[in-house]
Amino acid sequence: MKISILSSLFSLLILVDVGIYAAEPLHKSINQQISAAWKQNNLTPAEKSSDEEFLRRVTLDLLGTIPTAEEVIAFLKDNDPQKREKLIDKYLADPRFSQSQTLVWDQVLFGRNPLNPEATRKRDGFRAWLTAQFNNKIGLDQIAKKILLAEEEGSELFLVQYRSNPEEATVGVTRIFMGTQLQCARCHDHPFDKWTQKDFYGMAGFFVRLVVLDGGGTGPDKKYKIGEKSTGEVLFTGAAKDQKPGQKGEPIKPKFLGAEPLNEPTPPMGFKEEPVKEGTKTLPKPFFSRKEKFADWLAQPKNPYFAKAMVNRIWGQFMGRGIVHPVDDLGDHHKPELGALLDQMTTQFIGNKFDVRWLIREIVLSDAYQLSSKGPSREASLRFYERARVRPLSAEEIMLAIRQATGYDVDNKTPSRLPNAGEEYFLRYFGEPLNGLGEFQGSLGEHLFWNNSENIKGLIRRKKGNLADQVLTSKEPPEAKVEKLFLAVLSRRPSEKETSKFVEFLSAAGSKPEGAVEDAIWVLLNSPEFRFNH
Amino acid sequence: MFGSSLSSHIGRRAFLKGALVSSAGIVTNWGGISHTRLAAEEAMKSGKKCILLWMNGGASQIDTFDMKPGRPTAGPFRPIPSKVTGIQLCEYLPKMGQLMDKLAVIRSMKTQSPDHPDGIYHMHTCYKISERTPHPEIGAVIAKYLGNTSSDLPSFVRMGSTGNGGAGYLGPQYEPFSLGRDGRLPSFSGSNLSEEAEKKRADLLRFIQNEFAETHKAEPFESHRLAKERAYRLMKAKQVFDISKDWPLAKERYGDTEFGKGCFMARKLIEAGVPFVEVGQENYDSHSDNFVVHKANMNVLDSAWSALLIDLEERGLLKDTLVVWMGEVGRTPNINNRAGRDHYIRAWTTVLAGGGIKGGQVYGSTDADGKEVKENPVSEGDLFSTIYKTLGINARAKHHVGTRPVWLTPEGSKPIAELL
Repeated sequence: MKISILSSLFSLLILVDVGIYAAEPLHKSINQQISAAWKQNNLTPAEKSSDEEFLRRVTLDLLGTIPTAEEVIAFLKDNDPQKREKLIDKYLADPRFSQSQTLVWDQVLFGRNPLNPEATRKRDGFRAWLTAQFNNKIGLDQIAKKILLAEEEGSELFLVQYRSNPEEATVGVTRIFMGTQLQCARCHDHPFDKWTQKDFYGMAGFFVRLVVLDGGGTGPDKKYKIGEKSTGEVLFTGAAKDQKPGQKGEPIKPKFLGAEPLNEPTPPMGFKEEPVKEGTKTLPKPFFSRKEKFADWLAQPKNPYFAKAMVNRIWGQFMGRGIVHPVDDLGDHHKPELGALLDQMTTQFIGNKFDVRWLIREIVLSDAYQLSSKGPSREASLRFYERARVRPLSAEEIMLAIRQATGYDVDNKTPSRLPNAGEEYFLRYFGEPLNGLGEFQGSLGEHLFWNNSENIKGLIRRKKGNLADQVLTSKEPPEAKVEKLFLAVLSRRPSEKETSKFVEFLSAAGSKPEGAVEDAIWVLLNSPEFRFNH
Repeated sequence: MFGSSLSSHIGRRAFLKGALVSSAGIVTNWGGISHTRLAAEEAMKSGKKCILLWMNGGASQIDTFDMKPGRPTAGPFRPIPSKVTGIQLCEYLPKMGQLMDKLAVIRSMKTQSPDHPDGIYHMHTCYKISERTPHPEIGAVIAKYLGNTSSDLPSFVRMGSTGNGGAGYLGPQYEPFSLGRDGRLPSFSGSNLSEEAEKKRADLLRFIQNEFAETHKAEPFESHRLAKERAYRLMKAKQVFDISKDWPLAKERYGDTEFGKGCFMARKLIEAGVPFVEVGQENYDSHSDNFVVHKANMNVLDSAWSALLIDLEERGLLKDTLVVWMGEVGRTPNINNRAGRDHYIRAWTTVLAGGGIKGGQVYGSTDADGKEVKENPVSEGDLFSTIYKTLGINARAKHHVGTRPVWLTPEGSKPIAELL
């Protein structure tokens, strides 16, 4: 009885919230609440981003690459006061939007070193599946549900990484989809959040019956399927430090985190399940599917974790840090300053059917997103977003951005993967640029690769129609050539001082300009301005 | 031209910094110069360094430092007396026997990871690989705490077969600089431009970095720029890695082997200010023909290791340079039917020397057949606590992986007081 009153109150609240805010677009509320926070904390925000700054930033954030020189010029010339909004809408409809969001979520779901690497190293199939979800405008609730059901072809790999490892599945699923740090509770009750070991193993019960099956194919084309058994329980043995060898644990029933235990029918009398043999291709549907119950529970609008965790994560993706930071630690022990904004965004995200494009559009339309990255603060991202955040480009973005900048693909003949193990090198040197606190650290390896590798040189080297070639064959004055280089690589026009310095550099080469032009491109690619989205 | 002492490398750095600012024609306060100087001073103050001799595959304790003559587990090797009365070691380590007064032999290692990838990780980080927390290797920890940010040289150098953890949560700045087994520099260390072209390109880059930094002050930009400068400094200082001139003389002492050359390189790098060098010796994983394998390995090891210690001692470096000898596992007391010994973690041996360690002693012991630790068991965490303590690093220093607090050594780890 009590419960039903509470839940109807809850839905009432949602209605009221939507009622109040539906009249004005979310980004207006974001603006109000953030500028109130600036005022309250005596902060002076940075100036508004220039068109050049905004264009590069939003192109990287929405399409995963930089704009072309022509696109920069066109955008700068455009006098339409609505041009930023129109650009955002154009990008949200661009197929590259789905591709770049796929790469972002691929890293969220797998990271650079996923478990079960033999199966998860090549994820082309999964990525294609995820891109299709974004292309088809599937809501994030439904995408998450499909990932956790792992029934569509291509969707299986997320659960495949947790093969025979329900504990890691629990850590991963609760962190990624629920913004909850449960890993501490694996070995001991959480020291400052409310979670106990029993909560942890209660959640593990939803994954303990999953099995990875042979989905056919061999080598890099090998596929996997997820099956679910009808029996099997998590055994709980108490705190890790008190454990003794050979100790048997007590079985723990599945329980939704912070909520009710799973209501589960008892198996038919005398039910006995055959063990799953190596190479099994299919399993019959279990008489009761815990996996389905969990996916249903997670992806419902009323789930207290999912929508908020997704909003906070997406906000962090564009703003540099979550309203709760780090983005996957939404426990009760945090009372974020902008908590009301997070709640409002969450409510409206649910109201908009978990539409990722809608949420991203509102975020990048906000004033805070569109601030300049210029300013005295040393931090990469600021607590009240009073200056644009600075983030390193991902390895994938760097590869695309260099190809774009140098005109590498101008003849449309180059393969999608870079030659000479290029992709492996980029992933090695640019794949993990952060320390444990999420701070960027420049590495020696990265710069030796930039400085001395044939991979980088080969991308820059003159060939018909590429950037070096365009500049070398151009009959324009040297100043225009320099401008072309800056537009192509840094997506902006050079200052007067930069122009004269680069003109001097190019003219010093005399009768052999080729090397100088390539070096000038190399210099621009090597600047911190290129390395980061800012 | 390139002095190999620490001070000269720092001096060159300071000079380069000045050149950097003036060549760009702009006086910019990076805010990093004073910080760098402070860190440098701190590192100089501690002055401790570490060489890890990594016995890849796991050396046999019973055939080296914990012999069991007359017991069924003994094997064919005989013990010989060492310089220290009462401490014996294998007949194939005679030169090391003469240095026993410098060695602290820990005969009571009792560890948790029985196989190669997990043992290699565990004995480089003192944490289990299965925890999935990206713990840093000992080399990265030392690079962070003892590394001199002003040095031209990387702070974590390794060669041969070594660790598998890397810098972990400490971040890319502390990743190892891996030389080839023969001392060859890693990929992309050589410029493909003339010195003049390289300089022109670098100057133009510095100009544009400066322009950008005028208005953009966020830390990541600066970190990126500093790493680029480190790369340039390394390119200029890389002659330090060229030991071809000295090696003909040194090889008499170290033995003309890859591992011997690695040990000599380690000495040169330590002398040049690198705080951590790891040298791997291959082929200890003797599941069959254990005795053939170990005899051959000890021949190489005895010369190289002893030469390294003597060399360090003669140069006055041993008191501040800890030399660690270990692998990922020990080997079974029982000899299998292929005359091999398998992996063993219940009772095995590691050896420390220099860097403030009290030599001439054995710590802990095993039972008559070497099957169990009899007294003073030492865990991975205890060993690392001892190492960090003697190097002046707080073994319980706290770091974070996202929200999660992590410590350099696991809770409950204790340094071995008797060795310090």
